[in-house]
Amino acid sequence: MTSAMNEPRPAGVLIGQGLDRLDGPLKVTGAAPYPSDFDLPGMAYASLVRSTIASGRISRIDRGPAEAAPGVLAVVTHENAPKLGRGPKTILGAAPPPPLRDDRILHHGQFVAVVVAETAEQAAEAARLVQPEYDAADPVLDLADPRAKVRDDPWHVDMRRGNLDAGLAAADVTFQATYTTPENTNNPLGLFATVAAWEGDTLTVHDSTQWPYNTRGALARSFGVPERGVRVLAPFVGGGFGSGLRAWPHVILAALAARIIERPVKLVLTRPQMFTAVGHRPNTVQNVRLGATRDGRLLAIEHTSDSPVAMEDDNLEPITLGTSTAYACPNLITRDRQIRLNVPCPGSMRAPGEAQGNFALESALDELSYDLGMDPVRLRLVNESTVHPQTGLPWSSRAMRECYLQGAERFGWSLRSPEPRSMRDGDWLVGYGMAGASFLHYQAKCQARASIDRDGTAYVRSAGTDIGTGTYTVMTQLAAETLGLRTDRVRLGLGDTDLPMAPQAGGSGLTGALGGAVHAACVRLVHDFLRLVRNDPESPLRGCDLEDITLHDGRIQRTDDPTRGETYAGILARHGLEELTADGDSSPPRGDMIALVGSMVTSRLGRFGRAAVRATRAVAPAGACGAKFVEVRVDPDLGLLRVTRIVSVIDGGRILNEKTARSQITGAVVGGIGMAMFEETITDAGTGRIANATFGDYLIAVNADIPEMDVHFVGEPDPANPIGTKGVGEIGLVGIAPAIANAVYHATGRRVRSLPITIDRLL
Amino acid sequence: MMRAFEYVRATDTARAVEMVTADPNTSYLAGGTTQLDLMKDGVLAPERLVDITHLPLRGVTGGRGALRVGALTTMEELAADTTVVERIPFVRDALLLGASTQLRNMATIAGNLLQRTRCRYFRDPAVAACNKRERGSGCAAMTGTARMHAILGTSPHCIALHASDVAVPLVALDAILRVQGRDGARGVPLTRFYLTPGDTPDVENLLRHGELITAVEIPLPALGTRSGYLKVRDRVSYEFALTSAAAALLIEDGIIVEARVGLGGVGTVPWRAREAEEILIGAPATMEVFRQSAERALEGARTISGTAFKVELAKRTLVRILRTVSGVVA
Ligand SMILES: Cc1cc2nc3c(=O)[nH]c(=O)nc-3n(C[C@H](O)[C@H](O)[C@H](O)COP(=O)(O)OP(=O)(O)OC[C@H]3O[C@@H](n4cnc5c(N)ncnc54)[C@H](O)[C@@H]3O)c2cc1C
Ligand code: SF4
Repeated sequence: MTSAMNEPRPAGVLIGQGLDRLDGPLKVTGAAPYPSDFDLPGMAYASLVRSTIASGRISRIDRGPAEAAPGVLAVVTHENAPKLGRGPKTILGAAPPPPLRDDRILHHGQFVAVVVAETAEQAAEAARLVQPEYDAADPVLDLADPRAKVRDDPWHVDMRRGNLDAGLAAADVTFQATYTTPENTNNPLGLFATVAAWEGDTLTVHDSTQWPYNTRGALARSFGVPERGVRVLAPFVGGGFGSGLRAWPHVILAALAARIIERPVKLVLTRPQMFTAVGHRPNTVQNVRLGATRDGRLLAIEHTSDSPVAMEDDNLEPITLGTSTAYACPNLITRDRQIRLNVPCPGSMRAPGEAQGNFALESALDELSYDLGMDPVRLRLVNESTVHPQTGLPWSSRAMRECYLQGAERFGWSLRSPEPRSMRDGDWLVGYGMAGASFLHYQAKCQARASIDRDGTAYVRSAGTDIGTGTYTVMTQLAAETLGLRTDRVRLGLGDTDLPMAPQAGGSGLTGALGGAVHAACVRLVHDFLRLVRNDPESPLRGCDLEDITLHDGRIQRTDDPTRGETYAGILARHGLEELTADGDSSPPRGDMIALVGSMVTSRLGRFGRAAVRATRAVAPAGACGAKFVEVRVDPDLGLLRVTRIVSVIDGGRILNEKTARSQITGAVVGGIGMAMFEETITDAGTGRIANATFGDYLIAVNADIPEMDVHFVGEPDPANPIGTKGVGEIGLVGIAPAIANAVYHATGRRVRSLPITIDRLL
Repeated sequence: MMRAFEYVRATDTARAVEMVTADPNTSYLAGGTTQLDLMKDGVLAPERLVDITHLPLRGVTGGRGALRVGALTTMEELAADTTVVERIPFVRDALLLGASTQLRNMATIAGNLLQRTRCRYFRDPAVAACNKRERGSGCAAMTGTARMHAILGTSPHCIALHASDVAVPLVALDAILRVQGRDGARGVPLTRFYLTPGDTPDVENLLRHGELITAVEIPLPALGTRSGYLKVRDRVSYEFALTSAAAALLIEDGIIVEARVGLGGVGTVPWRAREAEEILIGAPATMEVFRQSAERALEGARTISGTAFKVELAKRTLVRILRTVSGVVA
C-alpha cells in the first residue's frame, strides 16, 4: 500500500496495522540471504543421483566413471557410505530413514548416490555418469493393490460418537458418495538448498527449513555428534508450504558430503527432485455418508479415507479428523487408513489432511442440500455447533456464523437462483458455490529472548522461521508495541538454532506460539527494568509495578503522571549496564487437538497422552474458521471453467497485521484454485515415475486464472492464546476446492467428485 | 545437463550454413527457448552451437500478395506487424496465445516452427523407451499418461504432438519456408514440410542437417476474408493447447466461398484440415455445416485413454471458431 505505512511507528497503535513487510526491501533488492546464497571459502558442490525404478535392489553401482570425471572429489553410494543414524521422532512421526543405508529401492527417485565436485556443473555432469543396475521388482503403486500393507487408524485419532447406524436409520434423508483427490506437490519457488560446513564435530548448516531445531536434531543424530555443536540457519527461506517441516535425506547427504571431503558443500535440489524428495500432498479416496432430518439437522456423519505413505517412512496426515469437529452431529465415525506404497513419502502441504478431507465433506453437504431442497448456507448454519462437538466443551471462540452471514452478504448470495444451470451469461453458465472451513487448533512450546541495549534499541530473537509469511514483520510489531518502541528501534532475529528454541512454521501454529513467547519476553524485560529501579532513589519510577506505568517511545512513564519517567537507555546508563535481557516462553493451551495427536503418535498414548486425554478442560481451543463463496463461469461446450469471484470471510482471532494476514489468505486461495482446477502430480502406473515433474507439465494457477479476491476478517481475540491469534496460514486454502466444485455443479448440473476439475471432466 | 559445448556467433549466413552442414554435432541457436531447454534436460548434446541471431534475417517485408517474414523475426515482432493485424489476425492471435511475453520476445518464427514436442517421455532421458529419441526403443507415452498427445497423424511408434500454435494458421495459409543449403536455396510448402512419425519418429521434417530457414512466406488471403484462432486449455494463459483451431473464411451472401482450416493440439504435425474445408467451401455458413465439417476433420482420429476426450473437444473447438468467424448465431 502506501509507503507511509512503513514510516517508523509509534508504539500503542501497532497491533493489527497493515504494516508493509519489513523484509520486503531486502527481498526485492536481492539482499536477503537465502540458503543457496551462502558461499563459503573452499566450497564444493554436490549433485544427487536418483533411482530409475520404484522397487527392487541395486545389483551394481559403478563409481568409476564419475570418479574419473573432471573436478570430482567424491562419489558416495550405499557401498562406501558410513552408517548414519535416524533423526528423532517429532509430532509428524518418525524421521525419514537414513539415506544410502542399503541396496534396497523403495521408490522411484530415491537418492542412490551423491557426487561432489569442484563446480556445480561438474557435479551434475558426473552424477549423470552414475548409472546403477537394478534387480527390479514389481512396485506397489495403487491404493487398491491387494499386496499393499494397510495401517488402520495410524495416528489413533479415528473418532466415534453416538451410534452411526441409529443416526442413519432415524434420518429422513441419507446421502453417500466417494470423492477422490490427487497427489499435489508443494512447489515452493525456492529450490531447497543446503550448505554444510564441518569443523571437527562442529557443523554449521544453512538450510531451507521451516524448523531449524528439528533439522539440528536430525543432523546430530545422523552423524552421532552432540546437538550443541550443530548450528542450523534459515533466516530466509524461499517458501515451503510444509515441505520444509522435515529434515529430508538431501539435507543429511549434503552434510555427509561435506564431512567426507572435509570442505564446505553446497547442494541445491533441481525442480524435478523437488517432486520426489521433499514430500507432497497425498492423494485420497474418501467415502462420506450423511443422514439428516427434513429440516437439515445432521443425524449421522461417516467419513473414511485411504491415503498412501511411503514403505518405511511416516506422514501425519489425518484426512477425516477435521470432520469430527466441523458440525454438530450426534452420531459420527471418522476413519483413516494409510496404505504403504512404493512412492516418495508424502508430507505436509498447506492444510495437510484438511484440504482433502474438507473437499469431500463440503461437497457432500452441498449434495445433501440439493437432496433436501435447502440453501447450502442455511444447511451449514443449522448444523453450526457452539461447542466442540466431540467433547461438548465450549469453543474458546468461534465466529463461524458471522463468517457465513457476512460472506453471503458480501458475495450477494441472495441473487443466486437455487436451480442448477439456471444462471447464464452468453455462452457461459454461471454458478455460485460455497463451503465452510474449520481448522484444528495447533500450538507448541516456544521460547524467545528480548534485550534492550544502551542506545535504547531492542533485539528480539527466536529460532522460528519466516518462510515468507511475514513473521519478521508481525513479531516486530508485537515487540515494538509491548516494549513501547518505534518499529525501527526493534531488530528481530529468526531462523537460527543459536537462538531460543522455537517450533516449526507449520500447522498455522507459529504466530501464536512465537507471539506468546515474544510477548512474554518483552513483558518480562519491562518488568526487569522496573525491578532495577524499584529501590533506586534517583528514579522517578521507584516503586512502580507494571500496572503503574505506560510505555512511550523508549520511555517508561508513570500512568498517574506521564511527565515522570525515564528512558530504557537512561536506566541502563545510570546502572552501568550495557543491556538488559529477558526470556519468555509460551505453551499450548490444554486440549490442543493436534498436540494430542502428536503425543499419541510419539508415545502411543503414553503417560503424557493419557494425561492429556484425562485432563479436565474448561474450553476447547478453536483453530481458525471461515466461509468461502465462489462464482464460476463454465462454457459447457468447451469445458472451460473460470473462477470469477471469491469471497473469504475468516475468523483468525486477533489479526496482528491486516496486510500480511490478508496476503496469507489470498495466497492460500490461489493454492486452493490450483488444487481445484490444475494441480495433479501424475505417477506412471507401471514404473512409479512422476511423469510431470516440471513447471511446464505440472500446472499451477497463473495470474490470469486468479479473480478478484475479497478477504474479510471477523471474530475476536481468542482467549486460548495470550496474544489472541488463531493462525491464518492454512485456513485460506481450506474450502476453496469444494466451493468451486459446488459452484460448478450449480452452473452446470454436473457434480465433479474428483479433483482437479479439468476440461475433460466438464465435457 | 552440464556438458561443455562451443559457442560461435555467426555474422555471415553462408559461413553459418557451411559450419553447421560440415559437422553433424553442430546446431543452430536462435532464441534458444527450445534448444537450450533440451540441452539442459540432456536430450540434445551438440558439441557446438552457431548463434544465428546476428544474421540479417529479421523483419517483415512485402505486403500485397504475400508477407516475407525473416526467420529471426520474434513472435512478438510478427504479432505486432500491421499487415498481420489487418489481413491475417488469426496469425497474431495464435502468436499471442502462445508461451509468455518473455519467451515471445526471445523466440523466433523459424525456431517456433522447429520446436520439438513437449512429450514428457521424450524430454526425460531417464525414460528409456522413446522412438523419437532413439529409434526402436519403444514409446513410453502409449502406456503412460498422455493427455497432451496427438490423435491425428499418429503411428504405433509415436503419438507426440507438434505443439506450435502459429504453425496452425500458417499451414492453413499455405505458408512457404525459404531454406538455404550449402548448395543452394529452395522453397518448401509448410504443409509438406512436416512428416508424420510413421516408423521413423525421429525424422520430423524435410530440413536436411545444416539447412537454414531464412524466411517464411505467408500468402495473404483474399480481401474480406475473416479469420480467428481458438485455443482451448485448462489455464487461461501460459499453457499449450489441448485443442485449437484456426479458420479463415470468405463468405459471400451466406455462402462460404473460401475456407482454410487448421487444427492444433491434435496432430503429430500442424494439422491442415482439408476434409473440413471441402465440406465448407460452397456450403451455407450454418451450424449444421460447421458440425459436419468438424466430424469429417476428426474422422481419422486414433486415441488412447488419456486422449479420448480430445476427439469431441477438437470438433467443438472447430465448430466454435467457425461460428465466431462467420458470425452465425447458434
Ligand atoms: C515454457 C514454454 C512455453 C511455451 N509455450 C508455447 C505455446 O504456448 N505455443 C507455442 O507455439 N510455442 C510455445 N513454446 C515454444 C516456443 O514458441 C519455442 O520454443 C520457440 O518458438 C523456439 O524459438 P527459438 O528462436 O527460441 O528457437 P531455438 O530454441 O533457438 O531453436 C529451436 C530449434 O530450431 C533450430 N533453428 C532455429 N532457427 C533456425 C533456422 N533459422 N534454421 C534452421 N534451424 C533453426 C535450432 O537449431 C533448434 O533445433 C513454449 C516454450 C516454452 C519454453
Ligand atoms: S510419443 Fe513419441 S516422443 Fe513421446 S515417448 Fe512416444 S515415441 Fe517418444
